[in-house]
Amino acid sequence: MTVGEEAHGSTAEAARPEVLDGPFTTRQLLRLDEALRVADRTTGLTFSVYVGDLEEPTRAHAEKLHSQLRDPDKSVMVAVSPNQRLLEIVTGADARKRIRDREAKLAALSMVAAFGGGDLAGGLISGLDQLATHAGRA
Amino acid sequence: METVSVTETVLVFVVIPAAIVLVIAGLALLGGGRGGKRYRPGRSFDFAPVWFLSAPEQLAGTPAASLHELPAGAERKELTSTQTVTTKGATGGASDRW
Repeated sequence: MTVGEEAHGSTAEAARPEVLDGPFTTRQLLRLDEALRVADRTTGLTFSVYVGDLEEPTRAHAEKLHSQLRDPDKSVMVAVSPNQRLLEIVTGADARKRIRDREAKLAALSMVAAFGGGDLAGGLISGLDQLATHAGRA
Repeated sequence: METVSVTETVLVFVVIPAAIVLVIAGLALLGGGRGGKRYRPGRSFDFAPVWFLSAPEQLAGTPAASLHELPAGAERKELTSTQTVTTKGATGGASDRW
């Protein structure tokens, strides 16, 4: 499930989903969806990925997006801004106990390495896997 | 020994290779349409922002019933709200640049 930030006409009648205008191919979208579902199911936390521009201050914007989730305390938000070449991982109060900031930083480092090579989807998928592994089973 | 005319020589050594080159170039151009649709570091990224969740009902301020009727490319404002849930502690995480 995706949420497009900008409205382009009426999305309900659009034959082509807006998400296909994003940077990912259909195959990458399917893999990303699978990675999110596996991460959610194994950890019991809610993982979320945002790819798009973040307003300054970027950390505050990422935290605002994180707070819009239903249960922010148990949620992990990965916000990527390719234009600003910026990655923010936001963990809620409960999620933070399972994924330490040090472990989040480790996942961030490996994601950033993939993004620097131009591989957005690969970086996100391996990063989610890494975060889920650190969080452990529910 | 049989002699080969100039026309035949031109046909074999110029026209046929040129035809092969044109066919391959045409195929390459047809297949290359997808190549531009990806992120390249250092180039501007002008795609629409996307937000992924495995379960869309996890977003706050949305009645769960209405979510199932939303199309896949639903607008963000339909799914999110300005209302934020109060959290019990500070958020953690990490930041990085590339």
